[in-house]
Amino acid sequence: MVLVLAIGDLHIPYRAPDLPAKFKSMLVPGKIQHIICTGNLCIKEVHDYLKNLCPSLHIARGEYDEDARYPETKTLTIGQFKLGLCHGHQVVPWGDLDSLAMLQRQLDVDILVTGHTHQFKAYKHEAGVVINPGSATGAYSSITYDVNPSFVLMDIDSLRVVVYVYELIDGEVKVDKIDFKKTGTATSHSAH
Amino acid sequence: MLNSTSNNKKRVPDWLNSSLWSSQLPQQCSKSSPNDDVADRAVKSTSTTSSVKSSAPKAEASINESPAPEKVTVTAPPPVVVRPEAPKVEVQDPLSRYGMYYSSDDNEENGGRCNASMAAAEASVATTAPVTTSSALAAARPASSQAEDISRKAQLLQELSRKVINMGELRRLASQGMPDGGGIRATVWKLLLGYLPCDRLLWSSELAKKRSQYEHFKEELLMNPSEITRRLEKSSLEKNESDAEGKGFLSRSEITHGEHPLSLGKTSIWNQFFQDTEVIEQIDRDVKRTHPDMNFFSGDSSFAKSNQDSLRNILIVFAKLNPGIRYVQGMNEILAPLFYVFRNDHSEENSVSAEADTFFCFVELLSGFRDHFVQQLDNSVVGIRSTITRLSLLLKEHDEELWRHLEVTTKVNPQFYAFRWITLLLTQEFNFADSLLIWDTLLSDPEGPQETLLRICCAMLIIIRRRLLAGDFTANLKLLQHYPPTNISHLLYVANKLRTHPAG
Repeated sequence: MVLVLAIGDLHIPYRAPDLPAKFKSMLVPGKIQHIICTGNLCIKEVHDYLKNLCPSLHIARGEYDEDARYPETKTLTIGQFKLGLCHGHQVVPWGDLDSLAMLQRQLDVDILVTGHTHQFKAYKHEAGVVINPGSATGAYSSITYDVNPSFVLMDIDSLRVVVYVYELIDGEVKVDKIDFKKTGTATSHSAH
Repeated sequence: MLNSTSNNKKRVPDWLNSSLWSSQLPQQCSKSSPNDDVADRAVKSTSTTSSVKSSAPKAEASINESPAPEKVTVTAPPPVVVRPEAPKVEVQDPLSRYGMYYSSDDNEENGGRCNASMAAAEASVATTAPVTTSSALAAARPASSQAEDISRKAQLLQELSRKVINMGELRRLASQGMPDGGGIRATVWKLLLGYLPCDRLLWSSELAKKRSQYEHFKEELLMNPSEITRRLEKSSLEKNESDAEGKGFLSRSEITHGEHPLSLGKTSIWNQFFQDTEVIEQIDRDVKRTHPDMNFFSGDSSFAKSNQDSLRNILIVFAKLNPGIRYVQGMNEILAPLFYVFRNDHSEENSVSAEADTFFCFVELLSGFRDHFVQQLDNSVVGIRSTITRLSLLLKEHDEELWRHLEVTTKVNPQFYAFRWITLLLTQEFNFADSLLIWDTLLSDPEGPQETLLRICCAMLIIIRRRLLAGDFTANLKLLQHYPPTNISHLLYVANKLRTHPAG
């Protein structure tokens, strides 16, 4: 039972001052084992905050990040799953699922986590699953103006992943759940 | 270390100095016959043989008598046989120390002598060849106690094989100490703690019921929230199984009841799980530190690891079932001897279910001492402070001079030493082997473990009174916090006497 937080596109302090209070109250240290951050934090203070939340922090570079040392892409293995991380502005057209699928095959990962569009998405194709946690602060993007703050928490349990989607809609936190399993080479999913 | 065995400053009576006061070997499966015993304290007649070595020929004879029981222990289940040498080494130690008092009180000399014979014995002995060891030991032991021992073992076995067990008789026999072989101690402890009913016919059904109950507890309480949610979802999952569609947006289902990992709700299983994590970490740390010198409990072997896992499971289940008291440091120490004895039961079936049996016996044993672990009750009538005060009063009643010297003159507050004695049931004051013996008496005494414990603690003080009276605060405190090794049979004998002679 490994809890992995996928979060990103916070754009603090340029486009948003801080995480929503309701999100902040939920994110406490000690519960999460890994953090995967899609990028665009943008400043060191946010990095420190996330580091405090969980020492195992993985970040990919977004185009507005002030720290130039983050890698463009990153891969890691958690349990039986290979996860890939990329901010997403490098993949053109932005948010295009086929292009992201290409990236996924390149990185050879089961789950690809990207951001940049500030819209939550969870999409499945033959090569695997693409998850976009959206923007945790609800910052505007060049594509969309109306953004709901959201982030994703994945519960990886051997061959099964439960994805909890946290969204702030009209001031209330709504949690949704997505389930999928990894069977052999292909990822099969079941909804319920 | 000089062991003072006299109760008063007058000439030491012969019987106190006799060779019969030597502690029993705890090692099950390695030797059963040289279980030199504590029965002697109850049987004064044998003590008249104050000169020791009458025994060599008789010892041989007694050994020849006992090959049958030896064989029984030798064919014990693998885990027991596999048990490595380390505990054995540890056991040899008390032997060499409490060795034999011949005409002098000098332990060192005896220790040295016994050590030599021990070393020789050990060198020539494999774990499954106890006879050689016993012969070496027998040479140092009076045969009368061996014969005693064998007869008592026979009596115990006979008592245990009855259809309906006479608890009074069993208690009487058990309080004299029990031999290690044949799983006797395990069965007797289970009876004394009320886990097994007196009627033999009910045993198998009771055991089956309790063991399955424990499995049920484990299943319920040791699951992590992921598994719980998975089980809850299982039925709905199978209905909507849509297989490997090539592409598509993954569909979402809403959670309305707040059952997500970051939930802060009090009823959320996730929240409870994270709150329990702290307790579980504490338990884990303590389990890893239990008896680091014994291979049974610590080390890299898979046996040790599985034992540690069992201890951990028991403590976690207990903590979850008792939210009022949860886990307190020290419970692992009380659990250890129970689990050790049950796990080393010669019957395969019992040994495998040791975890379940230990859980219930642990609960029963702790029920009398629970209040010592609850901090809020510290100052109350049932708390630890009050128990320590009772010990103090008991000492005053039996040995006023010592009491005055300790508490008034040198101001050694009993809390400094008795706290650990009482809360941990003396497991930390003596080596493992001896504590098993003490627990025999503790569990079998009809007065109940609490009273017996206080008497034993009082006896511990009285036995070393000479040194205490001569010491100041520092010396006494040091002595009491590192209680010197002593003859357990003598200790228990004195404790027993405290019951019958209320006036000093």
